[in-house]
Amino acid sequence: MVEVGVGALAVTTLPRYLITPALGSCIGLGLYDPVMQQGGLAHIMLPSQTDTALKASPERFASVAVPRLVEALTRIGSPRRRLVAKMAGGAAMFRSDTTLATIGDRNAAEVRSQLRLLKIPIIAEDVGNSHARTVELHLDTGMFIVRSYLYGVKRL
Amino acid sequence: MRLERLTELQMDALREVGSIGAGHAATALSQLMDMPVGVRNPEIEIMPLGEIPGVFGGPEQLVGAVYLRLLGDIEGGMLFMAPRDSLLSLVDLLHSRRPGTTKSFGREQEALVTHVASILGASYIAAIARMADLNVLPSTPSFVLDMAGAILEVATTEAGMKAHSAMLIRTAFFHEETKIDVALFFLPDQDSLEVLLGRLGIA
Repeated sequence: MVEVGVGALAVTTLPRYLITPALGSCIGLGLYDPVMQQGGLAHIMLPSQTDTALKASPERFASVAVPRLVEALTRIGSPRRRLVAKMAGGAAMFRSDTTLATIGDRNAAEVRSQLRLLKIPIIAEDVGNSHARTVELHLDTGMFIVRSYLYGVKRL
Repeated sequence: MRLERLTELQMDALREVGSIGAGHAATALSQLMDMPVGVRNPEIEIMPLGEIPGVFGGPEQLVGAVYLRLLGDIEGGMLFMAPRDSLLSLVDLLHSRRPGTTKSFGREQEALVTHVASILGASYIAAIARMADLNVLPSTPSFVLDMAGAILEVATTEAGMKAHSAMLIRTAFFHEETKIDVALFFLPDQDSLEVLLGRLGIA
């Protein structure tokens, strides 16, 4: 098992699998290559960087994380054209706080537009609503498991 | 202001600010429950954003939380957090019932906890505002019952726009006879720290 922390990303191959716990407004983005049975997972916190002077670990931003995740997979032998995407998260945990409540939607929109630019199809998703999620990406089948207190286990 | 550049003196001052806020919040809680409530010395931590979701019993622990946004001269948030069991005990103590009486957490309990958290957060912030001569108001409270990690992550998201780490000033409240584990996090925006320290004369 490879655990991906907040604002981080990782790639791995069988027999390992990837997990990232407790997504709130963050997005868990899994990219999978069914031929090589390998993939990557990113825990994306924010849409895009506003302060470019900020150099330390920009991987929490979708605009950086998505291309880097693709790059990391290309490096281990999974070309972009073979990748498929599955995503979960982007919740509005505190509904009455308008700023915090919209971050999830903005994250999801930025991840979608980054994937569109890279021509990677999103084949499954569980995005929005107001509950926390833990996601796992299994590399034998590409199964994306989403766990939450509200809905239990969903298999995408 | 860069969090990493805070001096020892400034950190001490912030710890003191935290103690004053926590003391007032503990007094408010004691009055609400009509019994003494203990408060531990506040811990002040500057942590990478990636580590924050694990600070309250692990990322997937089921907790209730109330978030108050701070508006005015200083910005940021106050986050009240407690495991589900502690919330149920808290509800019992507020009703002067034996802890363990309330078994389920519904709308009524949610409203009560939200109200109490709002009072605690407001008394904490009022004490700081009075000491530093600042105008700060808490927003209307927002309640959620879910994974601790996801809640902490959302509460520190805005800090992520400006820096890779965030400051947590954490207070733990406890009650002698019952196991009540309640935490209150003061999450000042990093630009607001400068305002706060400036008012205290040590910017």
